[in-house]
Amino acid sequence: MRNIYMIYGVIVLGLLGMAEYRGFSLASVNEVKNVPRSVRDNPGSYRSVYAVYHHYTGGK
Amino acid sequence: MVVGAGNPNPPAAPHVKALNCPGCGAALSLRSFTQAVTVVCDSCHSILDAQDPQLKILQQFKKATGEDPALIPLGTRGKIRGTPYEVVGFQRRTIHVEGIPYSWHEYVLFNPYKGFRYLTEYNGHWNDTATLRALPTLNPYARQVTVNYLGETYRHFQTAQASTTYVLGEFPWQVRVGEANEVTDYISPPRVLSSERSGKEITWSMGEYLSGRDLWKAFALPGEPPMPIGVYENQPSPFSANTKTIWTIFGAFLAFLLIMMVGFSASARDEQVFQGAYTFDTNSRGEASFVTDPFELKGHTSALELSTTTNVDNNWIYLNYALINQDTGQAYDFGREVSYYHGYDSDGSWTEGSRNDSVAIPSVPPGTYFLRVEPESDFAHGSIHYEVTAKRDVPQFSFFGIALLALLAPAALITWRSMNFEHLRWAESDHAPADSSSDSGGDDD
Repeated sequence: MRNIYMIYGVIVLGLLGMAEYRGFSLASVNEVKNVPRSVRDNPGSYRSVYAVYHHYTGGK
Repeated sequence: MVVGAGNPNPPAAPHVKALNCPGCGAALSLRSFTQAVTVVCDSCHSILDAQDPQLKILQQFKKATGEDPALIPLGTRGKIRGTPYEVVGFQRRTIHVEGIPYSWHEYVLFNPYKGFRYLTEYNGHWNDTATLRALPTLNPYARQVTVNYLGETYRHFQTAQASTTYVLGEFPWQVRVGEANEVTDYISPPRVLSSERSGKEITWSMGEYLSGRDLWKAFALPGEPPMPIGVYENQPSPFSANTKTIWTIFGAFLAFLLIMMVGFSASARDEQVFQGAYTFDTNSRGEASFVTDPFELKGHTSALELSTTTNVDNNWIYLNYALINQDTGQAYDFGREVSYYHGYDSDGSWTEGSRNDSVAIPSVPPGTYFLRVEPESDFAHGSIHYEVTAKRDVPQFSFFGIALLALLAPAALITWRSMNFEHLRWAESDHAPADSSSDSGGDDD
């Protein structure tokens, strides 16, 4: 049990170190490849995957 | 507990004295020579005075072992602590707790040079037991009565009236069926101290928990020992040693985790690479999206923290963000809503949401990037001012929290199992926790 926990803990801390060094995040981000350079000249031509988001307009 | 194997050098068979039962004439064998005080005839169940040359009949009983026979036959030989012993006697004893009988078996073992010792068995749990040569010290004023013996403290577990319900073979005392003694057990797993009070005489013995599998091996018994049922009073917990060790290791991991947290915080560049302030006119029906000036992300692949600060007031703004690598065309696309509402009702004042937002974009490689921003909100709500800030290489403390929970979970689980084991142990005692006593002793009527 002791050895299993030792190995488990080392793996957890190793993953933590890698996550911190590589800058992992829990945020939901969509990666898009090959966005055309023309987007700088015509920003409206880019369609975000989040553009159809249904916004909360409530309040209490 | 040291139990020696019966083979390859089985102990030499002691000489057996042949006698005949005066009650039925059946042949009797006396294995413990003159040290036996009583011997029981297996045929007519007469308890005979082994010290009397005429084998005077002391008692006759008619009970049979029935469906609860001895698991180790008389005459079986094996080694305990390197010493050969022979099973010469067997008795079944019974206590009644709340009207329910609980029986256990006791085996009398004999070695001509070492004398007698005993094996006890209850529900597949075995103990190697020997009488004490010195008296334990009783601490009757402790919150839970304890006794000290050879520097070890034993906690009171149970006191009950035990009666002998079946006997067979030889015994170094005047055994009688129906004889009742007050038996008190004190435990310090894997050992148990037992006192037996008979009139004014108290006999102390110490038992040590023994694995049935080891015992079967030591006595070369056929088949498998009965599977232990439940948790026995002095059964060593498989978790207690682990619990202490696991928490020690957890402490070391926690220290290392804190060092990592300080190290990553100190070494993180936490560098602001972009900042821009903008205004979104919700009255405008024109194209709202725009791109920022390019900015450089240096160093190794790491997170980019994007913060949005707004002046929304009972309003919201949704920002479609795209972080685009100018050279490769790779984009990180995400949306953030910032909303803040407040008011006053019968419960008093309330607020909901926040004017600020922050998100970490994971694993962004170095390069030249720009942001495409597309704000949205309800039409004709005036102007919304917002500020966008990007920081490179910001430590993500949420992962330290996740790692802490991941390290804590196994330690907590083992501790819970250890506590549950002790709970089950003490549930059978005179000191049962309130919930277990109601479970086991409750009267449904």
